[in-house]
Amino acid sequence: MPPLLRRVLTEPRAVIGGVILLLVLFVALLAPALAPHDPAEQDLLRTLLPPAWLPGGDWDFPLGTDSLGRCTLSQLIFGARVAMIVAIAAASGAAILGTILALLAGYFGGAVDWLISRAVDIWMSFPPVVLSLIFMVGLGAGLANVILAIVIVDWTRFCRIVRSEVLAVAKRDYVPAARLVGFSHLQIIVKEILPAVTPLLLTLISIEMGIAVIVEAILSFVGLSVEPNVPAWGVMIADARQYMYQAEWGLILPVLGIFVTVLGANLLGDGLRRSLDPRLVRRVAA
Amino acid sequence: MTLLAAEGLTLSVVIGGSTIPVLRDISFALQPGKMLGLVGESGAGKSMIGRIIGQNLPHGFRITAGSLSFDGTDLLALPRDRHRALLGDRIAFVPQEPLSALNPVLTIGQQFAEHLRRLGIARRERYNRAAALLAEVKLPDAASLLHRYPFQLSGGMCQRVLLALAFASDPALIVADEPTTALDVSTQAHIVTLLRRLQASRGTAIVFITHDLRLAAHLCDEIIVLYAGDVVERGPAKEIFAAPRHPYTSALQRANPPLSGPRHGLPSLPENMPGIGAFAGIPGCRFAPRCPVADPACRDALPELREIAEGHFARCSPRCLDGHAAEVALEPIIADAAIASGQPILRIDDVSKIFRAQRSLLKGGRPITAVRAASLSVAPGEFVGIVGESGSGKSTLARLVMGQEAPSAGRIELAGHAMTQAKTDWASRIRTVQMIFQDPQSALNPRRTIGSLATQALEAQHHREAHHAEPRAARQARALTLLRETGLPAELAPRFPPQLSGGQRQRVNIARALCTTPPLLVADEIVSGLDVLVQAQILNLLLRLRETHGIALLFISHDLSVVRYLCSRVVVMHRGEIVEDGATEQVFSAPRHAYTKSLLAAVPPDALDRPWPPEGIADVALGS
Amino acid sequence: MTATALALLARRLLTALPIMLIVAALVFTVLRLLPADPLGMSLPPNASQADVAAMRAEMGFDRPIAAQFAIWLRHLAEGDLGTSIHFRRRVVTMILTALPTTLELVAAGLVLGIALGIVCGMAMFAWRGTLREQLVELGSTLVMSVPEFLWAILLILGIGVGLGLLPFIGRIDPQVTVPATTGFLLVDSLIALRPAAFLSVLAHLALPALALALALAPLIMRVLRSSLIDTYLEDYITLARLRGIGERRILWRHALKNAALPTLSLIGVQAGFMFGGTLLVEVIYAYPGLGSLMVDAVRNHDLPLIQGIALTDCVIVLAVNTSVDILYLVLNPKLRKQ
Repeated sequence: MPPLLRRVLTEPRAVIGGVILLLVLFVALLAPALAPHDPAEQDLLRTLLPPAWLPGGDWDFPLGTDSLGRCTLSQLIFGARVAMIVAIAAASGAAILGTILALLAGYFGGAVDWLISRAVDIWMSFPPVVLSLIFMVGLGAGLANVILAIVIVDWTRFCRIVRSEVLAVAKRDYVPAARLVGFSHLQIIVKEILPAVTPLLLTLISIEMGIAVIVEAILSFVGLSVEPNVPAWGVMIADARQYMYQAEWGLILPVLGIFVTVLGANLLGDGLRRSLDPRLVRRVAA
Repeated sequence: MTLLAAEGLTLSVVIGGSTIPVLRDISFALQPGKMLGLVGESGAGKSMIGRIIGQNLPHGFRITAGSLSFDGTDLLALPRDRHRALLGDRIAFVPQEPLSALNPVLTIGQQFAEHLRRLGIARRERYNRAAALLAEVKLPDAASLLHRYPFQLSGGMCQRVLLALAFASDPALIVADEPTTALDVSTQAHIVTLLRRLQASRGTAIVFITHDLRLAAHLCDEIIVLYAGDVVERGPAKEIFAAPRHPYTSALQRANPPLSGPRHGLPSLPENMPGIGAFAGIPGCRFAPRCPVADPACRDALPELREIAEGHFARCSPRCLDGHAAEVALEPIIADAAIASGQPILRIDDVSKIFRAQRSLLKGGRPITAVRAASLSVAPGEFVGIVGESGSGKSTLARLVMGQEAPSAGRIELAGHAMTQAKTDWASRIRTVQMIFQDPQSALNPRRTIGSLATQALEAQHHREAHHAEPRAARQARALTLLRETGLPAELAPRFPPQLSGGQRQRVNIARALCTTPPLLVADEIVSGLDVLVQAQILNLLLRLRETHGIALLFISHDLSVVRYLCSRVVVMHRGEIVEDGATEQVFSAPRHAYTKSLLAAVPPDALDRPWPPEGIADVALGS
Repeated sequence: MTATALALLARRLLTALPIMLIVAALVFTVLRLLPADPLGMSLPPNASQADVAAMRAEMGFDRPIAAQFAIWLRHLAEGDLGTSIHFRRRVVTMILTALPTTLELVAAGLVLGIALGIVCGMAMFAWRGTLREQLVELGSTLVMSVPEFLWAILLILGIGVGLGLLPFIGRIDPQVTVPATTGFLLVDSLIALRPAAFLSVLAHLALPALALALALAPLIMRVLRSSLIDTYLEDYITLARLRGIGERRILWRHALKNAALPTLSLIGVQAGFMFGGTLLVEVIYAYPGLGSLMVDAVRNHDLPLIQGIALTDCVIVLAVNTSVDILYLVLNPKLRKQ
């Protein structure tokens, strides 16, 4: 086993975070098999039920129902699908776009760097949430558009941080040394610089997964994310908010879903950073 | 009366549950007004003694035996706050890195004021006190200096400020840890002179920690030589340098090439000084595994520190000390290679490099001339040294040769072909010349194996020429050959750079440049980060490569003695210009240019009876 | 010093103009990618084709995007951001009415978040290497995994509904009134000398500001802690100790001044982002600020309003960045003297 992987696997944060994310992913993949009901199925006679173990609960609906009598548990389970698809697709998309631009900017410097850095400046002159809202207004609802909006907004998070890491790596003499033994620029970027920024990249991707889940929930909450009939945690929260005095569970459960997923992503990111970042290792040793 | 006395001091560290003694049985006595030199390579434990005095030991280290007393009080038993009251008052410290030892967000004045306030000096007197102290270290313009921030000063100026701070309280003891290592040679001479003057005027005792035996011999009254945490020799400074009795001291003394006289080969001790992790496996003399005259008894028990002459102690086997076995025969005198006449491998013709500073909105960029109209040539198989202080343009010259910078004017020829920045010239350039980088830690990708690093050039070749088949086996075979030629064991091939010692890493660095056997190598300060014995190994390796491959070398260094050892011709650079160029012996024995003369005068000479630093050298005031 | 600060200000203003122009153009174009007709929502269902065309012509939607942008820019130069399609009111007026509400909320969130972050960061540093540090760290990870708008909901559920401690609808009790002078209710109630109103505003501010602060504090805490650790590894700290300077003085005078710099840049970035965070927090607390207005505008596809608010956000973020840069200049002599 490579030493880096072993370091990651002995870091409890990384392991716990990874297990949480895998569980959510597992639930999302097996949603049709796990959910007791069709999440869209309404039972207008049994609306706003509390979870089954509370007075007035019903074991037909283990976590209760919403205002239209839809099964909360099934909605949560199917909601994990939207969350996971967005988390994985948006985080990798933003990582790829941001990293490519960061490598170009950091390695070549000069005009390329100027242009990319100014683009980042322009993007950063906006709260990201506002920017993604605007993109959603322009693009229209739908899962693919949510992913696209997050990628277009959040590539800067990668670009900014990875670029400064590329600059730090490019200062090391092994980069000019590779050039002097005859490596091409592309070879240097792929074989010398990319491996050096990969640990940072993994950390950022896992944190970005959490951010993507949150942004999707915000967009759903506003009604600008997936189509209305697709179950999503943000939509559940927006609906349940109107009945929060009667049925607080309907509100708490999707909040919990988001919290657990984001916690998993943050723990994994934290764990990766601790086990892979040499500066942190030095700091701990000192 | 003794000011600072250590008796059987033992410092230990707990690693993995077991207690390992790091410093063993350290004893010394320092009288008021005297200077004690602690000499050793990095990792010998010399800085730890300073840290014991300052009670700032790293986590996990503690004193397990012995005593340390300062002016009659037991330093080790002193409560924290009473110990702190001594610091900065009766005991002061001068650090190694002057630029990072001053707080970057406070002005020099603020840092002075803080210190003087703690010493109980009234507010209105503080300015005059600071100005007087600064004048003593030849920084006359206190009014302007006190308003400046550390990053606005040079390293030499910062070290003067730190000297002034240290002497502000007229301390009884100063601990100076490598105070000149980060500085240029001429700045070193200034700082050393000031240190001595301040010491003389106040009767201060000084613990002077250094890796440079020759420097310590000039400055100190007594010297302690440390090896892997043991005192191997202790005695009067001049005696230790002139007639070392311990085989290690003797190797250390001879590993530093002389500035005059015959050039004997440098001693090459095998392997490296053991690290703390290896201490547990060496119960006896820690030098025994490398010692040319060790006997089995040395390995089993630590020999006593024995007085062999008045005040001169050595920790070695009786057989060795009584029989003078330590006087290992000198290596043979090395010969310069015969220089082939005819076409030079490198010709630099009237080359200049002007950098334009980054323009900003407020001020236009001012051009900086890094190299001005430099001309020189290197014959095949010739070793040419370029010496100069930092900022002299010697590294820029190397970058120009390598094509990492384009010359602003002039012409560079490699093997008879004029080089341009064009892509077509690139392939022939890197076939002709390769570079050995200064810092192997930075120049070796930590994610590549040693084998892959040594043969990185083949990897690039393989990519360029797709037909270049059978890469793997050929590459492995080449890697093994290169490791052998650079004196590295074959089993290092699959390892990674962080697992190697500094000297081994520098060998890998050399192996990589050697991979395609270019006729010319450029080496930029490649031994400056190494300990003197490791440096000797690398220098000998370079000489061997000249013999086996007939390689020519452009050797850039600030260290005159190393250049003299290695190079048959030397070029002196100063402020971007070549001020002197000639045969090494001639330049060293009869320098013509004033700068070369001052550079040579700044180096501590081999002859201890020659007063050094020269009189008046520190009286150059550094203004603002 | 002031000269450098002024130069920086001038440079910032010079770069801010093109950035704002590009941002405006970008937003303008993105909003017009819209497949749906922006007028669809504001017309009665029985509107005829002719009505739609007339309305489009009135709003200028029948022209090419570049021409529309030029018109919008010309109006902007006159201080006019157009008229909201949905509310039929001038966008400038709407933004100016809502702005103080948001600024007050963000300011409160920032102050609370920075205070919390600094206290926890220093506590964590003081407890380094102990179990307590681990616990604070774990707590911060948990807190960080809940975004602002979920904190808003949880605080309402727990403190507002559950404990009934604090109000959570609007900026002030409906029966209390304050004469509007500045639009900042905390200031207005003080000017009008109405302590009851002041307390009511403060109580209404508490939960939404806390929701914003909880998202900010863990970040500040972590950066401050790690820059303190980094600073303590520096030679000048060691040498200050060797000069006999006490630990407290080393922390306050030597270490914090240096460690504050990375923390400050983080606050600069996060303060700008907080204007995104207020979006849902304002909706959830029925706060009539810029965030609520934006969500309304987005839901109604009210392009002129979205455009106006977006530009306002951009101006605010640039202003925040500039002030942080100037503060940075004051704290970091290295930048000042170059």
